[in-house]
Amino acid sequence: MTGTGETSAQLALRDPDVRIMLRVRDDEPGAFEELVSRFQHRLVGVMNHLLGNADEAEDLAQEVFLRVYRSRKRYRPRSKFSTWLFTIANNLALNALRSRQRKPVVPLRANESGPLGPRPQEQMVHDPRTGPMQKVQKLELSEQVRGALDGLNERQRVAVILNKFEDMGYAEIAEVMGLTTKAVKSLLSRARENLRAALTGYIHMDSGAVEVPPEDDE
Amino acid sequence: MSSRRPITEQERADLVAYLDGELSGEEARAIEAKISLDPRVRAEAESLKKTWDLLDFLPKTEPSPSFTERTLSRVDPLAAPAEPAGEEGQAEVGRWLVLAGAWGLGLVVSAVAGYAMMRAMLPRVAGERELVRDLRLIENKRYYDQVDDFEFLEKLDHPDLFGDDTVP
Repeated sequence: MTGTGETSAQLALRDPDVRIMLRVRDDEPGAFEELVSRFQHRLVGVMNHLLGNADEAEDLAQEVFLRVYRSRKRYRPRSKFSTWLFTIANNLALNALRSRQRKPVVPLRANESGPLGPRPQEQMVHDPRTGPMQKVQKLELSEQVRGALDGLNERQRVAVILNKFEDMGYAEIAEVMGLTTKAVKSLLSRARENLRAALTGYIHMDSGAVEVPPEDDE
Repeated sequence: MSSRRPITEQERADLVAYLDGELSGEEARAIEAKISLDPRVRAEAESLKKTWDLLDFLPKTEPSPSFTERTLSRVDPLAAPAEPAGEEGQAEVGRWLVLAGAWGLGLVVSAVAGYAMMRAMLPRVAGERELVRDLRLIENKRYYDQVDDFEFLEKLDHPDLFGDDTVP
């Protein structure tokens, strides 16, 4: 119960995403499509940051939605819908990362994008608005950051992605990952320290050399 | 004011939490004071912030245009065999069973009551066995009709009234 006498379920019902999910639970036509449309960008983005592979990210995001659909009749709004969604995503991503450790994947080369079209890195190289030197630096930096992220352990990586790209607070990350808030604080501190160690050479680059990409509004 | 000792893990965690906006007002003010007074803490906070900003260089991914369509096409075959509804589903089944039981019981009670009413309402026709049993009563009915009550009949049966015609 909250100070105003509201239960967490009542608070959750104020979340518009919870209301969509309740319509999915009741098999209302079009509700599931609305849910997929609403969350696909965030989910695919997070999965891609976690796995570093666009195809795999789409497959896993799709699997998350299928699990949501399959378990719709058991859905009980207890917190924000996105917390529940990313809890499922976290479990699937961790399984994928662990299985990948057992079966190493050979990454595709940049010109092997497949049916999804050119990847953002490829697009950056061909972007005529920036000079060739900046493009190369940007691409290199992007690869270095990706490498630094891949160097984190799975839990640190998940915490970093949720905090940075989903704007989740420590308490919500703790709920998604099944940890205490204190553990998340420690996890993020170590993750940031590891990232700094991996990116030392880039932290003190001239800030004018490479323009920081604008924040995504979504 | 600058200390020479290295920043501890706890101090770094607090610094990161401060940058993430996770500290209370009082805690945040304490960290701000440290940052303004100690150049090492300030440099630490700055490098941690720059590290975080570098994550913006990660390539952004958008789902392919057919993502929704492909996801929905995978859901369609699932539409019929939705997973059991867990506790709620069991409760639903239980409610149906109770309802069906109540209906069954109601039907049995109605049938029994209907049968009893029919038996009570229909005119009763005496059976052959009952006629044989009450034969003497039927034969003497015309006499019994003359009698008002059983007390009178018992008096008629008294030996002093009619006596036995015994032969001395």
